[in-house]
Amino acid sequence: MSIGEPKLARRPDGAALFIAVILAVIAGIIIWQMSLMRVPPVQQRVGPTVFPYAIAGALILLSIGTAVSALRGSFPAREKGSMAPMAWIVAGLLAQILLLSTAGFAVATGLLFAFTAKGFGRGPLWQTIPIGIVFALIVWFIFARGLQLSLPAGPLERLLP
Amino acid sequence: MDTFGLLGQGLIAAMQWQNLIYAFIGVTLGTAVGVLPGIGPALTVALLLPVTYRLDPAGSLIMFAGIYYGGMYGGSTTSILLNTPGESASIVTALEGNKMARKGRGGPALATSAIGSFVAGLIATLGLAFIAPFVVKFALMFGPADYFALMILAFITVSAAFGDSALRGLTALFIGLGLGVIGIDLQTGQARLAFGIPDLLDGIEVTTLAVAMFAIGETLMIASTSGSIKDEVIAVKGSIWMTAEDWKRSWGAWLRGTAIGFPIGAMPAGGAEIGTFFSYATEKQLTKHPEEFGEGAIEGVAGPEAANNASAAGTLVPLLTLGLPTTATAAIMLAGFQQFGLQPGPLLFANNASLVWALIASLLVANFMLVVLNLPLIGLWVRLLTIPKPWLYGGILVFATLGTLGANGAMSGHIGPISFSFELMMLLAFGILGYLLRRFGYPIAPVVVGLILGPMAEQQLRRALAISQGDFTALFHSPIAIVLYMLATAAILIPLYFRLRGKGEVFSQLASDED
Amino acid sequence: MNKLLLAALVSGAMAVPAFAADYTIMAPASPGGGWDQTARTMQEAMQAEGISGNVQVTNVPGAGGTIGLAQFVNQYTGNPNALIVGGYVMVGAVLTNASPVSLANVTPIARLTGESDVIVVPANSELQSLDDLVAMLKADPGSVSWAGGSAGGVDHIAAGLIAKAVGVDPTAVNYIAYSGGGEALAAVLGGQVTVGISGAGEFAAQIEAGDLRALAVTGDEPFNGIPTLQDGGVDVVVQNWRMVAAAPGLTDEQKAAINADIEKLVASATWTEALATKGWVNTYLAGDAFDAQLTKDIAATEAILKDIGLVQ
Repeated sequence: MSIGEPKLARRPDGAALFIAVILAVIAGIIIWQMSLMRVPPVQQRVGPTVFPYAIAGALILLSIGTAVSALRGSFPAREKGSMAPMAWIVAGLLAQILLLSTAGFAVATGLLFAFTAKGFGRGPLWQTIPIGIVFALIVWFIFARGLQLSLPAGPLERLLP
Repeated sequence: MDTFGLLGQGLIAAMQWQNLIYAFIGVTLGTAVGVLPGIGPALTVALLLPVTYRLDPAGSLIMFAGIYYGGMYGGSTTSILLNTPGESASIVTALEGNKMARKGRGGPALATSAIGSFVAGLIATLGLAFIAPFVVKFALMFGPADYFALMILAFITVSAAFGDSALRGLTALFIGLGLGVIGIDLQTGQARLAFGIPDLLDGIEVTTLAVAMFAIGETLMIASTSGSIKDEVIAVKGSIWMTAEDWKRSWGAWLRGTAIGFPIGAMPAGGAEIGTFFSYATEKQLTKHPEEFGEGAIEGVAGPEAANNASAAGTLVPLLTLGLPTTATAAIMLAGFQQFGLQPGPLLFANNASLVWALIASLLVANFMLVVLNLPLIGLWVRLLTIPKPWLYGGILVFATLGTLGANGAMSGHIGPISFSFELMMLLAFGILGYLLRRFGYPIAPVVVGLILGPMAEQQLRRALAISQGDFTALFHSPIAIVLYMLATAAILIPLYFRLRGKGEVFSQLASDED
Repeated sequence: MNKLLLAALVSGAMAVPAFAADYTIMAPASPGGGWDQTARTMQEAMQAEGISGNVQVTNVPGAGGTIGLAQFVNQYTGNPNALIVGGYVMVGAVLTNASPVSLANVTPIARLTGESDVIVVPANSELQSLDDLVAMLKADPGSVSWAGGSAGGVDHIAAGLIAKAVGVDPTAVNYIAYSGGGEALAAVLGGQVTVGISGAGEFAAQIEAGDLRALAVTGDEPFNGIPTLQDGGVDVVVQNWRMVAAAPGLTDEQKAAINADIEKLVASATWTEALATKGWVNTYLAGDAFDAQLTKDIAATEAILKDIGLVQ
């Protein structure tokens, strides 16, 4: 039913089957959580659990549909993706998240910038990290000082007037 | 005549040179901040409002109007060029706008967005000036049952408009609906699916999801494929201006977008996003180039952008006539108005006529300033695309995380001694989800649409049923609801009819017949 | 273009004096709401009156203020320069969300402003007075739909208390929660619900214009000529109030210094003026009297939330 179906690969699609399983698991979690909920006596006509149950039901149907589609191999062809660049970017985001509260915005975000650039093939890190930190510091100054946006400050930011 | 006289006076006041400078600064600041992913007009206005406090009422009103319009326009720019909508109302713009930008048509996309915003802003602001009392009466007629019918119509038109696979489109939609359930239930105050995490009690922030799905997901996707696929982004191909054909295809969309966006913006529980959804779906139905939809159809940018701007002016209708702040932006504006001694409410037009007209005139001037300022800059904006990818995407992630931190940066998570921002963690998680969905050919927008519409539909349905004390027939009592359900049925049946007859080729057939 | 942006941003930056931060006020809500406005009004007044050189406002929205409260305790314990704005809604939210951090974990300084709820009906409603409403409520509690703010908030609590006071089962109250006063107001104006119950300020303009009829206010004093519930024979007094609190773990001297600053703030002309333009009522209460009031409110709120069924 979709455009661009792969012509040769009419065999079961493992990854797509996995998606079907995940959808079913999500539905299961919703149903489990809702069954634990104590519905207060107010408003029992259509309570807070009705919509979630309906969504869970639909997800189960979609899971079955996805499984069928996977078995028929009718998912669109996927381009080969390389993991290394993604790993760099995810690492950059994680580094930023973990460092923000201690190292401050500029250092944490500078790392994110440099790691992302690395993911796109630009390095070396000892050059891009300082560039990133300076860039992030300027951004921090404009938004935190100029616009009073509350952004975490670290040792570097405290040096600024 | 009286109205015209007052508006004229307001315009004269607004056109003084120092006021024009304030409008200029406002538009520039607003655009600069609004361009950041995750920072929509509400936060832009909140951040910049203090800057306006230092001016006299007329000056601050006009600067404020400039910030507001600038903030909205800024969101569309990144949507189109970088596929990273700054706020939920410009998600739809990204669908076609970014496709256009990738084909070197970023210039016309930005132009139709700017001019469309101007046209819509102009018409809607005049609407605000002249027909606000009627519009507000219409808007107040909408009860919970009618809103529920409106949501159903939105679901149907929107899901018909997304993607080429019903299975994957619906799956994406239901993932969004599932995310929408998370958090405290408004009607009972009970937490749902929050798993004891306090940060989830308020639900998933739409902007966080949108920025993650689009900005982070897109970056990951491009990074993972940039080795194997040739760089297909072309900054400029052909003219950066709109061609005669572009104009021909845009103006109808602008007007329709305005007609859709203005009343929906005026509805107390409407909201700008819904107008953009409807506009997109309408354009997709009416277009003579259905094959271009999903590949960069200019109508798909022109309509939703006009709808977005018109609904912004629409929001001012209940605000000024009733004192009803119906959006976060409006609530902040209300705070701003009080600063100027304006007390919005039914007596506002009677008590503060000159200031109200100054505001309306300011909106017109700011709107004009925006288009004057931005049209010449389109060439520069488009150059954003020529920034080398490592720096461009590095910058996008810096600003995406900055916007998220600024909007909701509580360091509320803890791993041992390290505290971290839970919101950024969600940004990362949803970014990865966005990448996976892209990779497996799922459309992204329905997830965000589900998150926006799902909770609205649920609350309205439950309100309707609570008010009727459980009587389901109450859902079909009002004529508005009936009309909306009829439209929804038509939206299902008509495409189905054509598909059954011509397997989907009828539309293009029709189009070529007419051409 | 970049230069232009930069120039504009810098001009914006220069409009804000860059002193060392004296106070940081946390508004545990999004920009634009009541707590945020309170925090920002304090910021302005404190700077204008020279109480503090530079005041920063941070917004930590979420879950009726409990997320901000938790973060405040985490981040600022022992910091004499940190303040948090809060209010009655927080009392209920702490209970309904079973928040691990409560107002007992911070150092309450003073109540700043207060606002009664007002009960309104559309101008064309058949309910003419509070008595009519009580009669309707007694006859069939479900037939009276109340539009107000989120479940468990002050509006909901007031509705529950009224039902209880007139001998109706509070769980039978047909309360319709709206997010934000604007939506509730629209529902009342559009005649979608029987009555509206929300902050007096939110409905004031419509009452004045004659679009809404006010039946009673929930406070202990009449407001703009609207009688209290007690005047109408319903023994309920509820007020929504806003407060300011400091971080836990302060010394007595530090507490006294903050108390003095807030007292100066409340007495200042800037603050009085700001309250007048915003229509807020000054209900300043500090020290032991405030602590006693707080304890009483928390106990009463817990009791009614149990009656309504929102808290076990």
